[in-house]
Amino acid sequence: MIDPVTYMLTLIILCMVVNLGIALYGIFFRPSLVKKIIAVTILGDTANTFAIMLGYRRWLSPEKPSIPPVLLNYANATKEALAEFSARAVDPLPQALVLTAIVIGLAVTLFLVFLTLQIHRLYGTTDVREIRKLRG
Amino acid sequence: MSAVAQGLAYDLTGLTVPVIALFAFILPLLQKFVKHRLFPGVYAMVVTLFAAVSATTIYSHVASTGKPIVYGFGGWPPPLGIAYEVDGFNALLGMYASWLIVGIVIFSLWYNRNLDEPEWYYTLLLGFEVGALGCFYTGDVFNLFVMIEVLAVSTYGLIAYHKNNPGSVEAAIKYAIIGATATTIYFIGLMIIYGAYGTLNMGDILSRNIRLFGLIEVGLAGTAFIAVATLAVSLSLWVFTFKAGLFPNHFWLPDAYCEAPTPVSAALSGVSEIVGVYAAIRFLYTIFPAFSPIGYAYRGVVLAVLLVLGFLGGVVGALMMFVQRDIKRLLAYSSVSHIGLLFLASAISFMPVSEEVVVIAFTAVLAHIIAHGVGKLLLFASSEIFIEAAGTKILDDMRGIGRKYPLVSMALIAGFLNLMGAIPFLGFFSKLLMYQAYMAAGQVLPAIAIVVVSALSIPGYAKAIYSLVLSAPVKEFNGIRVGAYKYFLVLLAAILLAAGIAFTHLYACIGSLVDSSLTFKGLVNYGQAFLEARHVLWGG
Repeated sequence: MIDPVTYMLTLIILCMVVNLGIALYGIFFRPSLVKKIIAVTILGDTANTFAIMLGYRRWLSPEKPSIPPVLLNYANATKEALAEFSARAVDPLPQALVLTAIVIGLAVTLFLVFLTLQIHRLYGTTDVREIRKLRG
Repeated sequence: MSAVAQGLAYDLTGLTVPVIALFAFILPLLQKFVKHRLFPGVYAMVVTLFAAVSATTIYSHVASTGKPIVYGFGGWPPPLGIAYEVDGFNALLGMYASWLIVGIVIFSLWYNRNLDEPEWYYTLLLGFEVGALGCFYTGDVFNLFVMIEVLAVSTYGLIAYHKNNPGSVEAAIKYAIIGATATTIYFIGLMIIYGAYGTLNMGDILSRNIRLFGLIEVGLAGTAFIAVATLAVSLSLWVFTFKAGLFPNHFWLPDAYCEAPTPVSAALSGVSEIVGVYAAIRFLYTIFPAFSPIGYAYRGVVLAVLLVLGFLGGVVGALMMFVQRDIKRLLAYSSVSHIGLLFLASAISFMPVSEEVVVIAFTAVLAHIIAHGVGKLLLFASSEIFIEAAGTKILDDMRGIGRKYPLVSMALIAGFLNLMGAIPFLGFFSKLLMYQAYMAAGQVLPAIAIVVVSALSIPGYAKAIYSLVLSAPVKEFNGIRVGAYKYFLVLLAAILLAAGIAFTHLYACIGSLVDSSLTFKGLVNYGQAFLEARHVLWGG
């Protein structure tokens, strides 16, 4: 009997690998610039999901899931409670990094969209094959 | 060294990058009040001069004490917060980059009349400097990711600056889509590093790597760490070689150089590519050195691959240079060739070599970075005069244009001779040292490869000199007034010449910096500075 946590984890990792493949295929082989941009965002989101998952490495067993990294009774926490907290709490650092990566991703995507719009204005198409032909 | 100077260098390490960023972002606002056309350029000049002086202060402190400066932002002890760590290697590169950007701003001021909204151009240029100095000074691999993105976004904007020119927009999007992909792959690599090591600080990763190396050696740690480190480094290196434009990642480079505003082409070749070279060296020589889990086999393999790619890039760049008709494209392929040479030389320890050889090789790399960057700035700046005077970038239509500007032509020829590696310019001595490093290591083939690449690039440069200066003019040119700007070009040529003549002094200078940063002693220095900073910031 496979336990549900391992099953879900395997499924998520498998999905991420497939997503990575789809994103790289889209970036390198799809001719449309818009689809390339969509593929770049898929790649970014896959990387972010991977980073978030890393924060849950202290998920010890199905009965003892990770807890939020917030210590509620800070004032009168016992030594055992603190040890339990540090052993089980989710690592918040990857989430902070992902936040930064999302903001950067937003800026880059906006810039790419602007460039695509400008290419559409100048060439009348967003198909890289057509653009190459028009340039001659 | 007085305590005041030490405090100043320490404060400036943390201050320089945020201050430039602040000044960059208020520039468009200030332009609303000061409407003069030259204002943004002069403003950028002041800010970049501040950056250059502060980078020089940091450099002189690091060079005189031989110890790295570690600055923990917000007073957090290093592995917790973001830290900047400046050792001899990146202190020199930071100083070089900031002074080169001052030169690029002077060039941009001359180019100002071609810029329709100069405030945005200079905002992007200052953003570019923030990214470049941030990449050089940072001691945190995630901060390196952020700074590479800052540099990249400014670069995309600068390349597409002439936004109604179809070529510029196309070059920018070609660079931007693959650039965004490469940085995301780097992010995945970082997450693997974080998952395995639990830290993102370069000094901390280094000290953990050395400990792991010892544990694997005595059989206490599994080989799983070797696999993880291998994967992380492989994923990280793509963005660096892509930024550097190492063959076969150079496909974006000729278009970008050709279509960007000319000062930006100089900035790309002198600074942005060097960031890629620097980060690759930092990863393979400081963070994952020979005494790390990848030191057993993979590091040697990856350096050997970089060596072969560097050689191929050098040859391809040199050969493609000869068939170009466009002067800016010719200079772009020359950059591909020189980046190949830099990687060729920095792959020195693909076989175990002695420390002296490493010092010679990296002295050569640093000297070549300076020779190439200053030479490219000189060449782009002087060919821009010819491009504007002739009204075209095509070499055949510019024949003999140099005869109207004798002083500019002299500077141009000096720049080409420097890149070609002619005595007594700096470019000759840096190439000679690369050759000597491989000979001292007993590796004859890479040494010959350096000579081959240099020899193959001579026809390309000779062709450019011949068309621009020596051949007889075929038609009348309009001509433009150059004014005092030509003395700037002469100054750059004089710097290259003087650096070549005084090379023994320069060699001693750079050699001692490399000795205190990239050798085994340098690793100990780097790790110790990190531990000391942690100790001090934890409260002693």
